[in-house]
Amino acid sequence: MKLQRMRIEQLRQFRKPFVLDHLQPGLNLIHGPNESGKSTLVRAIRAAFFERYRSTAVDDLRPWGDSAAAPTVELDFEHENRNWHLTKSFLQRKRCDLTVGTETYSEDDAEEKLAELLGYQYPKRGASKAEHWGIPGLLWVEQGTGQDIEQAIEHAGDHLKSALNSMVGEVASSGGDDLIETVRSQRDTLLTGTGKPRGDYLKLEKDRAQYEAEIQELKERVHKYQEQVDRLGKLAQDYDQAEAERPWEEAQRQLEQARTRYQQVERLEQQQAQEKATFAQLQQNHRLLQQNKEHLEGLSRQLEGRKGELDRAERDLATAQAQTPMIAGRLQEARTAYEQAEKQRKLAGLLQTRERLEQDARRLEQQKQLLTQNLAKAKDYHQQLEQARQQARDNRIDSGAVKKLKATANQLNEETIRSRTIATRLNWQLEASASLTLNNEPLTGQGEQQLLEESTLVIPGVGTLGITPGGEELASTRRKLKTLEDSFAEQLKTLSVTSVEQAEDRLSAFESAGRAQKHAEDLLKSVAPAGIEQLVSEQSEAESGLEKARSQLQATPEPEQKENVPALEEAEAAFVQAGNELDKAESDEREHQSTLSTLKQARDNAKTEWQRLADEEQSPERQQQLQQINTDLANLEKQQAELQASLERREREIREARPDFLKQDIERYQNAVNHLRQAQENRGRELRDIKVRLEAWGAEGLEEQLNEKEAELDQCNRRYQELHRRAQALDLLLTLLTEKRQALTRRLQAPLQKHLNHYLSVLFPEASLEVDEQLRPGKFSRGTELGQITELSFGAREQMGLISRLAYADLLREAGRPTLVILDDTLVHSDSDRLEDMKRILFDAASRHQILLFTCHPEKWQDLGVPPLDIQASKEQGA
Amino acid sequence: MPTFLHTADWQMGRAFTRFDTEDGAALVEARFEAIEKLAELASEHQCDAVLVAGDVFDAQTVSDRTIRRVFNATKGFAGPWVMLPGNHDAALAESVWTRAQRLGAVPENVHLSLQPGVINLDPQRLSILCAPLTQRHTYGDLTEPFTGYESPEGFLRIGLAHGSVQGLLPDEIDSTNPIAPNRAEASRLDYLALGDWHGTKQIDERTWYSGTPEPERFRNNEAGNALIVEVPEAGATPTVTRIPTGRYQWHQWRETLAVQSDLDQLLERLNALPEFAVVDLRLEGSITLAGEETLLKALSVAEARFRSLRCERSGLQLAPTDEDIAALKADGYVGEVVESLRERQQEGAQDDAARDALAILAGLLREREQEASQ
Repeated sequence: MKLQRMRIEQLRQFRKPFVLDHLQPGLNLIHGPNESGKSTLVRAIRAAFFERYRSTAVDDLRPWGDSAAAPTVELDFEHENRNWHLTKSFLQRKRCDLTVGTETYSEDDAEEKLAELLGYQYPKRGASKAEHWGIPGLLWVEQGTGQDIEQAIEHAGDHLKSALNSMVGEVASSGGDDLIETVRSQRDTLLTGTGKPRGDYLKLEKDRAQYEAEIQELKERVHKYQEQVDRLGKLAQDYDQAEAERPWEEAQRQLEQARTRYQQVERLEQQQAQEKATFAQLQQNHRLLQQNKEHLEGLSRQLEGRKGELDRAERDLATAQAQTPMIAGRLQEARTAYEQAEKQRKLAGLLQTRERLEQDARRLEQQKQLLTQNLAKAKDYHQQLEQARQQARDNRIDSGAVKKLKATANQLNEETIRSRTIATRLNWQLEASASLTLNNEPLTGQGEQQLLEESTLVIPGVGTLGITPGGEELASTRRKLKTLEDSFAEQLKTLSVTSVEQAEDRLSAFESAGRAQKHAEDLLKSVAPAGIEQLVSEQSEAESGLEKARSQLQATPEPEQKENVPALEEAEAAFVQAGNELDKAESDEREHQSTLSTLKQARDNAKTEWQRLADEEQSPERQQQLQQINTDLANLEKQQAELQASLERREREIREARPDFLKQDIERYQNAVNHLRQAQENRGRELRDIKVRLEAWGAEGLEEQLNEKEAELDQCNRRYQELHRRAQALDLLLTLLTEKRQALTRRLQAPLQKHLNHYLSVLFPEASLEVDEQLRPGKFSRGTELGQITELSFGAREQMGLISRLAYADLLREAGRPTLVILDDTLVHSDSDRLEDMKRILFDAASRHQILLFTCHPEKWQDLGVPPLDIQASKEQGA
Repeated sequence: MPTFLHTADWQMGRAFTRFDTEDGAALVEARFEAIEKLAELASEHQCDAVLVAGDVFDAQTVSDRTIRRVFNATKGFAGPWVMLPGNHDAALAESVWTRAQRLGAVPENVHLSLQPGVINLDPQRLSILCAPLTQRHTYGDLTEPFTGYESPEGFLRIGLAHGSVQGLLPDEIDSTNPIAPNRAEASRLDYLALGDWHGTKQIDERTWYSGTPEPERFRNNEAGNALIVEVPEAGATPTVTRIPTGRYQWHQWRETLAVQSDLDQLLERLNALPEFAVVDLRLEGSITLAGEETLLKALSVAEARFRSLRCERSGLQLAPTDEDIAALKADGYVGEVVESLRERQQEGAQDDAARDALAILAGLLREREQEASQ
């Protein structure tokens, strides 16, 4: 298909007719700046083909503000060596005319013809959208959509496949893909992806299991019911038979017999027990009589025993009495010794007291003498002390003051000497007759005076000389000297002395008196530490003590005996010893007396006992008793022998009757009766139970229920089988459809791949681009890179999109379909190298297809090797 | 002239599997109506008694409602009914009969023969010699004691038994509950009324199986009748009249389709059937897509007309003709799929999946065509 001429009128900015003529069969570069109408031309071509002429949804074609416009497109193109002329008007004049060679079509026929030719469809209503564009959608690339190849291929879908039919044979199917989807969705309502049942199908499978379980349960219950019915029949029979035969009555009779026999044996046993008791009583009597007899016979033996005991008591008493004098003697001795020791102790005490008193008197005498001497000395020392004190009082002087005085004297001395050294010295050697008056004092002879003060020397006859000693120091020295002289005089006066020597003498005297006083005090203290008064009182005390001791001594009698008297301690010890011995002797005596009385009592008792027995032994009643007892014993023994025989006889009788077996028989028969009755009762009860149970179960209508359930299962099963078959069929159908479709795709894939590789080798020499089952370019690999085309950069994707479209165009051309390629400002994102490659590709493709390339960048396409067509220029030309 | 109605094998309480719930319920209902019909017939023919020769109930444990309804249905005939327990409703220690008695459902004019022996219907001068089953199965001839049973002077001796007459019935009938073939003669019976065989069948001039009054299976064995028996006097040969009582006719057809005319014929026959029909079809052979469309339409119509229609077509191959495929416009690979499915059917043994798949595909394509043509 080659577009040759295009004319538009009243369409957007082309209010006036615009003609694009002389289009080349290969590449056509159409350029113009923005807004020049480039995109409008593309839109016009699209409208001519895709929009229904009677569509009301094409307002965008109307020139702005011109409601009366009838946008018109006219196209001339050549296809299969025939000339096609299409005129289509919209909105105000809706028309479509198509001339193919000599044939003409109009309106809908014309549109159908076009759609068939190019492979697209019209929208049912409204404006045509991408999904209707089919193959042209793939080959006519709108501005900015070059990279969106996938969508375009999808929309081309069936058109593409049917268009390619001629090439791959009659394998493509119109609407086959929809069919697959329908089959898949129907299959998927029954089966999961992995072929497992789902939905109703799965539910039926479960229901079926549920029904089967219920039926099984019902069958079991029916079976149980039938068993119970059989059991009921058997039981009823057994019950009636037992009721007729009554076997428990025979058992009852046997029981009665056994009981009668057992009662007889019991009576025997009672008699036996009574006789045994009698026998035991006899034995008891016998034993008592025997005891009585033994008792009576034992009296004489007892009497002898008592006699022996009496003798032994007498003997013991005699022995004790024999000891009495010895014990009394010992007591007497102890008493004497005690009294002696007591006397000795008193004597020793008296002697000791006297001795102590004499000693006291001597000591007190001595003390008295000493005190008297001390008192005399003390008085003497006291006098000395008084004298020393008097002396001290007389010479009392302050030693500090004396010291100060001495210091002042020294200082005065020093100052005087100093003043002399600095004073104006006045020497004079006068003739004897001569005299001078110095300071009103006459000077004669030879002398020297030191002048410290302003002085007046009167020389008689001469006059008066004033002498003024020089220097300030002299004045201060003189003042100091004066002060010292005053102080010295004052101190002397205070101390009441006339000179330093006198003061020192007095101080020496004072100190010597002090020492004497101290000495006297020490001596006094040595004889009377607590003072003289104390000493006097001590002396009087000693005197009175002495007096007292002497009077006591006189009061104490002098013992007659003074020889062989032991010391007091010794006497005391002997006395304690004697006391102890006396205590012992007394206690021995008391003990002896008590033993004696005990023995005496024992002897008396023994004597009484013996006497009693002796009396009894000799009594006549005793003899009579003994005889009676012997008679009784003989009678008893005879009775016993008779009873013994009777007991043994009866014992044998009882043993032979086997009472233990009889007892067991009774139990056995009793049990039999019970069991037989019980069994019958049980039968009766079970009969009733089963009847009740069966009534209940019967009311449920089990078998009818079972029948119904089986019918339901059957239905469920049938429905299940239907779905099962349907699922199998759908699965098979889907598998077959998918397989066949894949086979078809594979057949289409190969040629498309070939064309794709042709272009790709120019762009990326080492790369490969695989075509997937949907005939879409998919996996892209370049060296080690591997990925989907959608992962490439925008520019690369656009380039890939373009070469893919060209490859489709090649494929369609081979299939004998029209292939007009329209590119609206494409490849704007390509760099110059890549663009260079793309130009080579476009140039190559243009040798097979007509390509209309619209651009607003003509400078980029200068080297395309075709003359550019300027829209602006054409417009102006047209105008 | 003494006249009585002979019937048997009511099988009450049976539920019908293989049918839709609604159809099953209708068939059950028809069995109750059959009893009413019997009562009506007995009155109409002025019968002295109605004898039911066993299997009144299909099972021992049917619902109380079923029991009551069965006895209620006998109301139309006030004369004596004698009911004999058969193998399905044997007179066990606890049975459907004891339950019926406990429920108080048995009317006074209905005699239950729960023990072997003679039931004398004095006003009617009929002696009914009964051989009820008291166990589920017996292997001895229960009618043996008939010979020993005495009947009052001048009374008709009528035997009532349930089981298989030895040596006369097809083998498939189980051989339990045997009955001697010459029982009527050997026991000096005027008539022997038998049950167990569901079709009406004469054994000898005095011995009959009445069959069930309402058919309940497809096997074609003369079911759906009752017998009116007239015996002029003791020892005379009875006159037996067969009266149809069945409401539904059961048809089971096995057909092989090969050419178009086979289908046409089948549909014609189907059209000829009365409304009260229960039909079970099994088709084999092959059919074109157009043929199948016709068949499906016809079956759809028939389904609505008959009580029940079931058609098993899994043995019927779907063989689309070239015209079929052209009509479907199955081009490209879809056409290949059609071809492949057709081959698979012809190749192996019965390939249900392929057949169904083809049917589904054809349906889908047809729908698409219809949409396109609209």
